[in-house]
Amino acid sequence: MFEATEINMRHRRTEVLFRLLFGMMTILLILPVALILGILIYKGAPVLSLDFLLSEPTNGMTAGGIFPALVGTIWLVAVALIASLPVGVAAALYLSEYAPNNWLTRAINLAIINLAGVPSIVHALFGVGAFVLFFKFGTSILAASLTLAIMTLPVVIVSTREAMQAVPQAFREACWNMGATRWQTIRRVVLPNSISGILTGVILEVSRTVGETAPIMFTGAAFFLPFLPQSVFDQTMAMSLHLFVISTQVPNVPEGLPYGVALVLIAMVLSMNAISIAFRMYLRNKKKW
Amino acid sequence: MKKATLTLMLFALVACGRSDSPSRTLIQNKGSDTLVNVAQAWAEAYKDVDPNAAIAVTGGGSGTGISALINGTVDIANASREMKDSEVEMAQQNGVEPKEWIVGYDALAVYVHPDNPADSFNLAQLAEIYGEGGSFETWDQLGITVPGCDSREIVRVSRQNNSGTYVYFREAVLGTERDYKLGSRDMHGSKDVVDLVENTPCAIGYSGFAYATDHIKMPCISTTEGAECVAPAVQTAVDGSYPVARPLFMYTNGEPTGAVAEYLDWIMSDVGQCIIQKKGYAPARSVSCE
Repeated sequence: MFEATEINMRHRRTEVLFRLLFGMMTILLILPVALILGILIYKGAPVLSLDFLLSEPTNGMTAGGIFPALVGTIWLVAVALIASLPVGVAAALYLSEYAPNNWLTRAINLAIINLAGVPSIVHALFGVGAFVLFFKFGTSILAASLTLAIMTLPVVIVSTREAMQAVPQAFREACWNMGATRWQTIRRVVLPNSISGILTGVILEVSRTVGETAPIMFTGAAFFLPFLPQSVFDQTMAMSLHLFVISTQVPNVPEGLPYGVALVLIAMVLSMNAISIAFRMYLRNKKKW
Repeated sequence: MKKATLTLMLFALVACGRSDSPSRTLIQNKGSDTLVNVAQAWAEAYKDVDPNAAIAVTGGGSGTGISALINGTVDIANASREMKDSEVEMAQQNGVEPKEWIVGYDALAVYVHPDNPADSFNLAQLAEIYGEGGSFETWDQLGITVPGCDSREIVRVSRQNNSGTYVYFREAVLGTERDYKLGSRDMHGSKDVVDLVENTPCAIGYSGFAYATDHIKMPCISTTEGAECVAPAVQTAVDGSYPVARPLFMYTNGEPTGAVAEYLDWIMSDVGQCIIQKKGYAPARSVSCE
């Protein structure tokens, strides 16, 4: 018969203690998220309707909907994506597949990491100086989206490069041994096998772009502009700035309205994340290693 | 595939924008946070006047608007202060000739409870009530007995410190050096100030005079003891005799033409001026609104 000794008991108590402690930390982590979502849904849901999504703000932005801001955000994200995706993927390709391991490559990697750490307000001021004033784009979707693109470029580069480096070296070697060129290998082997990782980067970028306020505040987003943009040289309203404005600047806003806007904003981000996760799972199932 | 979807999305957007109207003019309007809600109301109402003019309103502060005008990135800059000489010089160096428009006035009334017998204040008294180190703590010190205010204490109602009203009242009453006395009730809106004072016999507060109701009293204000006491009104704000009023400006680059000129003309018209009055500010001139 096995008798639990004093030492066994002590070990078990320690075990239970730590298990409880770490479990509680995890719950603490989830609690704010659950609270935020709960409060947003509780207070924001009554405001939501199709009409809210598809009509303009009226009566000093204390009534009506968010349509111009919604469309503006989609514009900003789409243009930012078009600008940053080719550059980001190309840069990652070079760093992962072509770049020799020397001081220059290490310097470039360091620069990318530092770029990721630059506060968004600094990107905003850079955007004003470079795109609004120097290139004379004015306060426009183009200037705002390019600012966002530069800000999110490191995310795209890092996630793409990591996805490519996760493709086993043996795959490439096998391909080369069949007489394929470097580019053929990239096209037929590396890219198809890393697409899910690249997609993760894209989605991370989109999520971040949707929520950013500071970089677009000075470069392209308007406090109030009840028209849909016609070209990338127009100014536009945007969801994030609209939320800031009706929460802090406009008097007599009904209590539910900011919650409704926040709920739509969060729903946009979450649904995009959900789509990406679903797509990645589909692609991963097709993976053969 | 991904890129094709994106391109399609963008084309759809462009197409959906295009169907709006082909000859739209965008007017960029940026600056003062004091004016931003009025500017927003103007832009919203102007949509029905000229559907082909889109007015993009942005806040950020008077300085933001003025520097955007200097850089030539806005058509109209909003400001709750006059442009400084140095700013005008910088603008001229950039080939911008600022033209000033007074679009309205921000007149702050001092409010007290309707039962309060006080009929007039001078700026020195207000500074003693509101200013740091000021000696007036009770209504007795002012020689006033307020019915219903048993504690005799002056309940100071003020605004949160990022409000333009807070900053301007301080400038006009306390001067730029002196701070507010601690312990005031800081409200988050002009209307809240009026509501509280209306229901508190001991209270004194300040706010745009357009927020006045039938159940509140607005004593007249004189600059110094014995000087003429002026009641807050559109007329006294316009002619400058009321001491706690400041003009609100819009600046354009030179004499405006086309859509910008039409927009400013409309702002100065009776319709535009009634909108600013409805928003709680004094119009640039007397207008009769419904």
